[in-house]
Amino acid sequence: MRLFEYQAKDLFKQYALPVPRSIRADDVNAVLEAFLKLNHPVALKAQVLAGGRGKAGGIAIVDDEDAAVHEARRIFGLTIGGERPSSILVEEAYPHDVELYLSVSLDRGDRAFVTIAATAGGVDVESLTGKVIRRVPLDGIDEAFAKEVATLLKLPPDQAPQYVKILLSLERLAREKECELAEINPLAVGKDGTLMPLDAKVIIDDSALFRHPEFARLHPEDEFEGEASRQGFAFVRLGGDIAVVGNGAGLVLSTLDLVGDAGGNPACFLDLGGGAQQERIEAALRLVNRLPGVDRILINIYGGITRTTDVAVGISTVLGEGAVRPIFARISGAEEDEARKILSGTSVKLFKTAPDAVNAVVKGT
Amino acid sequence: MVVQNMTGKYGRLHTKLMLDYGTNVAAGAAPGKEGQSVEGVPVYNSVAEAVEKSGAKASVCFVPAEFTLAAGADALNAGVKLLVIITEHVPIRDTLRLVQLAESRGASIIGPNCPGLIVPSRKVKLGIMPAPSYAPGNVALFSRSGTLMYEIAGQLTSNGFGQSVALGMGGDPINGTTSIECLDFAEKDDETKAVVVVGEIGGDAEERLARHIAKSGFKKPIVAYIAGRHAPKEKKMGHAGAIIYGDYGTADSKIRALTGAGVKVALTPTQVPVLLRESLG
Repeated sequence: MRLFEYQAKDLFKQYALPVPRSIRADDVNAVLEAFLKLNHPVALKAQVLAGGRGKAGGIAIVDDEDAAVHEARRIFGLTIGGERPSSILVEEAYPHDVELYLSVSLDRGDRAFVTIAATAGGVDVESLTGKVIRRVPLDGIDEAFAKEVATLLKLPPDQAPQYVKILLSLERLAREKECELAEINPLAVGKDGTLMPLDAKVIIDDSALFRHPEFARLHPEDEFEGEASRQGFAFVRLGGDIAVVGNGAGLVLSTLDLVGDAGGNPACFLDLGGGAQQERIEAALRLVNRLPGVDRILINIYGGITRTTDVAVGISTVLGEGAVRPIFARISGAEEDEARKILSGTSVKLFKTAPDAVNAVVKGT
Repeated sequence: MVVQNMTGKYGRLHTKLMLDYGTNVAAGAAPGKEGQSVEGVPVYNSVAEAVEKSGAKASVCFVPAEFTLAAGADALNAGVKLLVIITEHVPIRDTLRLVQLAESRGASIIGPNCPGLIVPSRKVKLGIMPAPSYAPGNVALFSRSGTLMYEIAGQLTSNGFGQSVALGMGGDPINGTTSIECLDFAEKDDETKAVVVVGEIGGDAEERLARHIAKSGFKKPIVAYIAGRHAPKEKKMGHAGAIIYGDYGTADSKIRALTGAGVKVALTPTQVPVLLRESLG
């Protein structure tokens, strides 16, 4: 789960990490009020979860009321990575010349958490040079570890002790809150040598959320994601017109690829999960049938534990309830002949192979 | 082997299916359920007891995610040398602790969030994969996705390419057994004449595998399939490990890396047996 910048900075405050003074604003008026309360200039920062905020014009530095209002209006109207800013963080600008980089992140290949530190921040971590990378023990780091990192970065004596404190706090945050990533980019060095995190990026391990109730309901959920979550489906909205449903994340992902290759536009990725019983296929069909933009449904079932006859009965039950978008299905596995019999006479178009089903649904025939 | 949480819904179902396949399920563990039996297999309160009474060295774990660390640690501390974790949604830090513990005990973990391991020629199924999709043969199949593994196993089997072994590495960001370890096994295994690797977006396991193939000079033919060429960025596509961050973890990156290492990469599951046939001449 990714946190908004303002949420990540709230977390930073809990861990005694310095952050610039700021006020979060939900609309243009609130931005103006915030501007009047803070020292100028301020940065207006779109609060979005998507990346690429800077490039999309989601950050503006303003020094007077008119500019604040103008830029706030513009930023609230932006769509960044398909997302509208939920709010704007109005933050005091921090004059600085030097930007550092610091993060604690999961290195999947090494199967360990690492700290990554560099003396040139503000750009993508992949393009940083002169990175100091150190494995972080699961039980945490000590002052000696943090001092070594500061030394390797060749930080001047007035900055090193601050850096050590920041690294120790960031690592503790990452460990206690079970972050996949806790990143400060850039970590600014002020004119007076004071270090200040200017941006904060935190991603919490979703699988650990059950033991972090403090993060429950942090993001407003759309009704379809909420419904999918309650049913135990993995669900991603995609914006096209062909709903893609299957039993297994890899299988559904592979089906998305087939649809894309054939020139189709998926409306969603929906994984029924293992052992998809009749009720689950029914719930999934009812959900995608209501999803705005959907005009065809593609179902790909490879039966193993999933009983194909259960799937067939579930589909025909929902068809019996009323208008359903046209269904194109590939159902393969034990009892598939019986499943076929159950669906014959319904409007479902059945195919033996996934490529055949995909070609048909994309053509709409 | 033993089954942990044998009396739960999936533990029961798959104990039966593993027995049906021919696997020696010797005992089960489920706290508070001592004295019960599932399909005639005795259940004990702890995995330590189950291991002691049965002499088992392997365990298939169906314990829910909140308790998987404790259950896995119990198994490893009781002397289990092969721990197959079927469970999904295990916290990353818990998995990392189990990986460390396994290393310190000279044990192996397969998973988490995986269908397990099957060796068709020996009728050994440590997991939940559908038996009819598999047949004995000479192709080693390694996959991050469970259902894609079944689909591709089915394709291989119906095209005359049986499997020496099929192993599900799992859909999580951390795999107890990595694709590199799988490849090293395939290298040494005389029954394996070719390898099929099924990957997906997220992380850099396939890129690492490609470097390893180039460095180790792996000689047997390898065919790969990578899911997620049309996946959006920054969205978790079902599996915890299937997420692209910026340019990191894209299907394109994996396909390029593997192709560069001499691997034939299929664009669809049905293309896998075609490329395999080409490779084997």
